Amino acid sequence: MDVKLPNLGEGADSGTIVSILVKEGEEITQGQNLIELENGKAVVAVPSPVGGKVGNVLVKVGDKISVGNVIVVLEGAVGTASKLSEPSVAPVKASRVPGIERTEQVAAGEAEQKSLAEPALKDSPFPPPASPTVRKIARDLGIDLRRIKGSEHGGRIVLDDVRSYIDRLQKLGSTSTKASAKPAETSVAAVVSIDFSKWGTVTRQPMTSLRKTISRRMVESWTTIPHVTQFDEADISGLMELRKKHKAAYEAAGASLTVTVFVLRALLDTLKQHPIFNASIDESKNEVVLKDYFHFGIAVDTEAGLIVPVIRDVDKKSMAQLARELSNIAVKTRDRKVGLEDLVGGSFTISNQGGIGGAHFTPIVNKPEVAILGLGRGVLKAAVKNGKIEPATMLPLCLSYDHRLIDGGSAARFIKDLLTALENFNEENLKL
Amino acid sequence: METIKTEVVVIGAGPGGYAAAFYAADLGKRVILIEQDKRLGGVCLNSGCIPSKALLHTTKIMAEASESGFRGIHFGAPRVELNELRAWKDGVLTKLGGGIAQLAKARGVEVLTGRGRFEDSRTLRVESASGQQFVTFEKAIIAVGSRPALPRAFDLGNPRIMTSTEALEIPDIPESLLIVGGGYIGMELGTVYARLGSKIVVVEALGSILAGADPDLAKPVLAYAQKRFKEIRVNTKVSKMATSGKQIKVSFALADGSEKSELYDRVLVAVGRVPSCDDFGLENTKIERDEKGFIKINSRQETAEQGIYAIGDVAGGVMLAHKAHKEARVAIEAMTGDSSEFKDIIIPAVVFTDPEVAWCGLTETEAKARGIAVEVSKFSWAASGRALSFDRPDGLTKLIIEPETERVLGMGIVGAGAGELIAEGVLAVEMGATAADLAACVHAHPTLSETVMEAAEAFYGHATHTYSRRKRSHE
Repeated sequence: MDVKLPNLGEGADSGTIVSILVKEGEEITQGQNLIELENGKAVVAVPSPVGGKVGNVLVKVGDKISVGNVIVVLEGAVGTASKLSEPSVAPVKASRVPGIERTEQVAAGEAEQKSLAEPALKDSPFPPPASPTVRKIARDLGIDLRRIKGSEHGGRIVLDDVRSYIDRLQKLGSTSTKASAKPAETSVAAVVSIDFSKWGTVTRQPMTSLRKTISRRMVESWTTIPHVTQFDEADISGLMELRKKHKAAYEAAGASLTVTVFVLRALLDTLKQHPIFNASIDESKNEVVLKDYFHFGIAVDTEAGLIVPVIRDVDKKSMAQLARELSNIAVKTRDRKVGLEDLVGGSFTISNQGGIGGAHFTPIVNKPEVAILGLGRGVLKAAVKNGKIEPATMLPLCLSYDHRLIDGGSAARFIKDLLTALENFNEENLKL
Repeated sequence: METIKTEVVVIGAGPGGYAAAFYAADLGKRVILIEQDKRLGGVCLNSGCIPSKALLHTTKIMAEASESGFRGIHFGAPRVELNELRAWKDGVLTKLGGGIAQLAKARGVEVLTGRGRFEDSRTLRVESASGQQFVTFEKAIIAVGSRPALPRAFDLGNPRIMTSTEALEIPDIPESLLIVGGGYIGMELGTVYARLGSKIVVVEALGSILAGADPDLAKPVLAYAQKRFKEIRVNTKVSKMATSGKQIKVSFALADGSEKSELYDRVLVAVGRVPSCDDFGLENTKIERDEKGFIKINSRQETAEQGIYAIGDVAGGVMLAHKAHKEARVAIEAMTGDSSEFKDIIIPAVVFTDPEVAWCGLTETEAKARGIAVEVSKFSWAASGRALSFDRPDGLTKLIIEPETERVLGMGIVGAGAGELIAEGVLAVEMGATAADLAACVHAHPTLSETVMEAAEAFYGHATHTYSRRKRSHE
């Protein structure tokens, strides 16, 4: 049987092998440690779930493995009822049957799907028992017959077995698609048309392509990112004073000094202290990509729908430049004049609803970014300062983040530092 | 000078080459088949399989006649007219060769008689008696075959030292014939000449004759040869040959290190075959050859030169016509974009000695060498009514079975007509049949094929015509 890396607990679903504790041909007992795995938190030993003779060790020191990867193949495993073992062959790589590869990855370690997964067959030095015709069909389809259990005497594989194997793969394929990164099509496909006119007159409009894109991206982000939103309120009374003081000079310089400009600047300083908020997850490699650049997406509310153009190199621009660029890009966006190049490459997004109204909300992370800052309308509230109640302009802040990468503590620290940067805004930054 | 353009050119019209040419034509390709010999069919038809079987058949009649006296049928001494025998044999070859030419014509395959040589990777120059022609092609199949090896030390230019090609012509019936090499060619031709009356000595460098066959299958052949040949000398090498009047003086290096020399009327050198692709212009292509000179190919018969394939003897591996035939199909299918591969294909081996030996799939010897656990189920022909009815109980049918799955992995047969019986083994192994499947099929009585069924039944311990204490239930 194949011994796979089990789930060792939260955040320990993968790691780097630091040592291998068994040799090929060695008899091992149940519970004996197979490898030591470093998973970022600690070095843990991985025990064998059963005893037996070590056939093949399929990993080496330095390998990065994750839950479901086969560590060793045990011969004559003790503790399992079946004398047959799972195939020690690698999943079909250049498979021509759509969905097979993904299926096999997803199938690993998922108990619910286990009943659907391939039967275990022993590794034989001979080709699988099947007629030349069936072998030809399998070759044409890129199917490894060793993964199919034949229904005839001696395990002989007939065309019906191949057929039911393909059926099973398709079933698995659709199951895994639901849980995988492309649920949009699936959910659309699953939806039935409802006749709303039964309850009154309706007008039907086609969904614009922008709306479809927004829909697809929101669903993808929402279903793949575990979202948490951190709320707070910043006292921007001081900031508003600074704004009043410098507004005219900025206007003279052709720049409109909005609260968003202040936030852009405060956010830049905060992100420099918390680079994980300016990062992405490379899901294909299981790597974290930390960015040295600061390109901020600005959510712009247009008649057609939400568009998020990007202001590049925020760290290299003065507040006046940022202010000019912010108003330019907003106009350009509302006029639908932004190009594709203006919409890509963002590292963090800001969604400011303050111009319209409203307080806290829960923005959705703009994938592949890992965090987004939502701003509500700054309103005068009664605030307690030095034991006295005073009026203060309070700005609602809503920080949504990808909990896969960012922990709650980090988010609390981030918003605290952002609060400080806004409440004690450095006037130096405003120099023209 | 004329240049012909074609889609596919096949060089060599042996059983691989003409099969490839015909198949390509059947799939709608324009095909040119180049053959240096006037008679199509290659070594197999002209100086191999077919003439040797014709001679074995004819001489078998003599052997059977001379051995039937004790059954009450008496013949006089046979009179052998070699001219008539050769003429009959040549008639068979001409008929078959003509048949191939007709089949080529019917398919529109153009046959060029001449010697092909690669000018570059897309051009062949064909030299014939009437001049030369150039053929440019999109795809080429090299099927130029092999020729008998004649080590330089033996190549004295003396016609008394023969290879199988000359021996099949039966220039005379030598009083004494030395056969160098106890493989299938040496043993088959030894059988022919022994029946014709020559005193045969077989010398083999290895420890046994018919290397490759399981010892229990080779045993009846050895027993027959020991009775009808003068001597089988294993672990012995021929160190030198020299002309000595109308004879050949042969020096032997014996196993114990000593030397001895003897005089023979003729010597047949049957020490293997070499690819016949020298002076073929391969250097003008990217085609690579291995250290023994065979053209290197992958599992789709492709050479290192894109668009050029090699099949049959020249591509190495077992040198058998039916292997070349299968490779022809793989090459054409690969050429036309099919997924075909020469992989996991069962190639039966047949030795037409007396008795015949045939096997396919896994042999017992190979299973032992590779440490594969198998069960061997045997049925002796001594218990076969059919075998006794023609007085040949010296046969054995055995199955090599994977114990866990009961799957038939190989079959081995020794006995009269083994070559015909092996087909069932090939089918069983290719189809992944189990011993139970073979046992369940009704085999006609009285035929030798029953031995296959009984060998399968013996695996379960309930063959009708043999008794075993061992019992094993069908699944």
